[in-house]
Amino acid sequence: VSVQEVPAAIPTARRRPGRSALAARRRRAGILFTLPVAALVGGLLLIPIGQTFYYSFTNWDGFTSQWIGFAAYRHLFQNPEFVTVLENNAVMVLAIPVAIALPLGVAFLLNTHLRGWRFFRSVFFLPTAVSWVVIAFVARRFFDPDKQGILTSVLRHMGLGFWHPNLLAHEHSALIAVMITFVWSVFGTNMIIFLAGMSTIDQEIYDAAKVDGAGSFVVMVKITFPLLKRFVQFAFVVSLITAFSALFSLIIVMTNGGPGYGSTTLEFFIYEQAFTENNFGVGATAGVILFLFVFVISMVQLRVLRSDD
Amino acid sequence: MSTNKGGTVRRIISGCALLVALAAIAGAAHAAAGSSRGNVTLTLWHNYGTGGNAVATTKLVAAFEKQNPSIKINVVSQPGGNYFQLLQAAWIARTAPDISVQWTGLFDTKYEKQLLNLKGYFSAAELSKINGAKWASSNFNPAQGLLVMPLENQFYMGFYNKSLFKKAGITSVPTNWSELFAACSKLKAKGITPIVYGADPQAIGPNPYPYYDLSYIAAGLWSPAQLKGLYTGRIPWTSPAVVKQVSTWASMPKKGCTNSDVLTKTNILGAFMKGQAAMIIDGNWDTATLSKAMGSNVAPFLPPFTSKPQKGVVQYSGDGFAVSKQSSHQKEAVQFLKFLMTPTAQHIIAGAGLIPDIVGAKATNPLANQMLAFARSGKVPYPMIDNVIQGDVVTAGTKQLDAALGGNISAASALKSMKQTHDALPADQRGPVYH
Repeated sequence: VSVQEVPAAIPTARRRPGRSALAARRRRAGILFTLPVAALVGGLLLIPIGQTFYYSFTNWDGFTSQWIGFAAYRHLFQNPEFVTVLENNAVMVLAIPVAIALPLGVAFLLNTHLRGWRFFRSVFFLPTAVSWVVIAFVARRFFDPDKQGILTSVLRHMGLGFWHPNLLAHEHSALIAVMITFVWSVFGTNMIIFLAGMSTIDQEIYDAAKVDGAGSFVVMVKITFPLLKRFVQFAFVVSLITAFSALFSLIIVMTNGGPGYGSTTLEFFIYEQAFTENNFGVGATAGVILFLFVFVISMVQLRVLRSDD
Repeated sequence: MSTNKGGTVRRIISGCALLVALAAIAGAAHAAAGSSRGNVTLTLWHNYGTGGNAVATTKLVAAFEKQNPSIKINVVSQPGGNYFQLLQAAWIARTAPDISVQWTGLFDTKYEKQLLNLKGYFSAAELSKINGAKWASSNFNPAQGLLVMPLENQFYMGFYNKSLFKKAGITSVPTNWSELFAACSKLKAKGITPIVYGADPQAIGPNPYPYYDLSYIAAGLWSPAQLKGLYTGRIPWTSPAVVKQVSTWASMPKKGCTNSDVLTKTNILGAFMKGQAAMIIDGNWDTATLSKAMGSNVAPFLPPFTSKPQKGVVQYSGDGFAVSKQSSHQKEAVQFLKFLMTPTAQHIIAGAGLIPDIVGAKATNPLANQMLAFARSGKVPYPMIDNVIQGDVVTAGTKQLDAALGGNISAASALKSMKQTHDALPADQRGPVYH
């Protein structure tokens, strides 16, 4: 290799598309256009999340904070009420399969285009448009043990008037009432997600299955469900996040977290600690735990339902 | 093409610069005009909604402005649900109002660093005229400075239906547990629900508020000064005397002294006014409603949640106005607080259906005057217990005492939970100084 040959190689390298002046300008423009969104996401999401992690190690009261390290977490887990709250969240997880299975079944029925399916689709989706507070008031009325309570009235008309299930009045059943209401309120959203998923499945697959002699149940189990796996994953994560972080209005109106701590979930506990007691540090600690809770369950669920495609 | 783009950008920048300059000039002109007139504009935040307190506040401000033409007060009604969060955010952002409504007791000592201590502004003679000065002061000691100027005198109170008592053959109101249970038996025999419990009419939440009752249980057990023992922990929530009294209280539903659905019943005030129950434990804020609906058929009584005859009355200045340390017009703001002590202000407060907090003042509502008569007849005034014990303990107690009343857990378990919450508090929040 002669000495003169080396500089000749450099222009060749400079001519690569990625290093051209146009590409550089495009890259700069790309960065410029991304900056506002990056600033927004960073300023409104990443920094507050980072601050939450920081404050979770302090005793912040809204005005001043002192670093107490892992003592914050230790104190929280030593609190028996907090353990009850964690148990309540664990119980809430049990509502998720129901919140998936029921709308999935109904979506499957509606997808067969049975008579009046459009009407039922609208009716089932309707609760989605209702605010949580209204849903909570209706639910409270539904579970009211008085004569005007809807459940009591229905039972009476069915000849079961001797049975008075006063779910909201008992420490171990109030959460069940909240879970039933939660399943009802996410029913419409999940059903639409599954219907949308079913509409993406090629009709020819169903036709081929029918030709092979598959009945409705076999089609549902062997074709529809496997092809809906991604939609089930999505509905699971959305329902989980809703159950853990969007039921505040439902709980405050229906039970106020009681009786006792019977229906206090992590989300409600965070509100009480931070905004009722000004224990923002404790609220941040519980918030981080809630984040980890949702993250771990979502990861496990993704692992279990991992799709090969 | 690039020249045009540059021109557009320049035009936009020039336009923006012009707008900013105009805004700055307008702001400066406005400020100059304001200061040249020598006027002071204060901001007042309240969380009273539209009730009697809000009416009183509006009228007080109007009367004050009339007396002090150079001072204007902008009244801002903030949502009650997150009022203190908004206030706290405003303090952090240094945009707090000059005057704000505060609750008294530990609610105001919690914000002591943000509130102007009024020690230099109110003389000892003036303080002695304010009924609730003690509970509105730093460390509950007026000598250490008033933090909040109380607006009104409040009561936790029982109300009974006279005709239902008569129907059941009850000739005198019960004054202790045994008399109460005897009255309950008589009322039940006539098919009347003795005491109605359920969702607190004051709150959106669905639960009873147990501190009306607990305040009277405490009044039966200790002197007002001894209540500090609950704050410091010298009197544990699990002490046998407390457990015994709270257990008796929690047994009321089982003994037929209440409706069966104590945790879920709604509109209990409506039920009482319709004559569906003989008694209700509530507060003075419903006196106007009760008087209007029941006339002279309703009367107040001291909840008899004690083994001995009830000696106390829960009479307490629950709310008032405070001045922010951040205010740049502290003198004028304090002037408004002092105005609340004048006969004009007392007249306005009474006219709005409230009970003025100045010694010797009278109310306009007959029920309110009957309540004031309790203290004059020798009953000892007690603070609302939820204002003098730690907020964390109040929250735990609200949940657990309700659960005990509903029969979900024992009273001992509920009190144990309150003690655990108390014990978990930082030492400075259960020490000799109220924080």
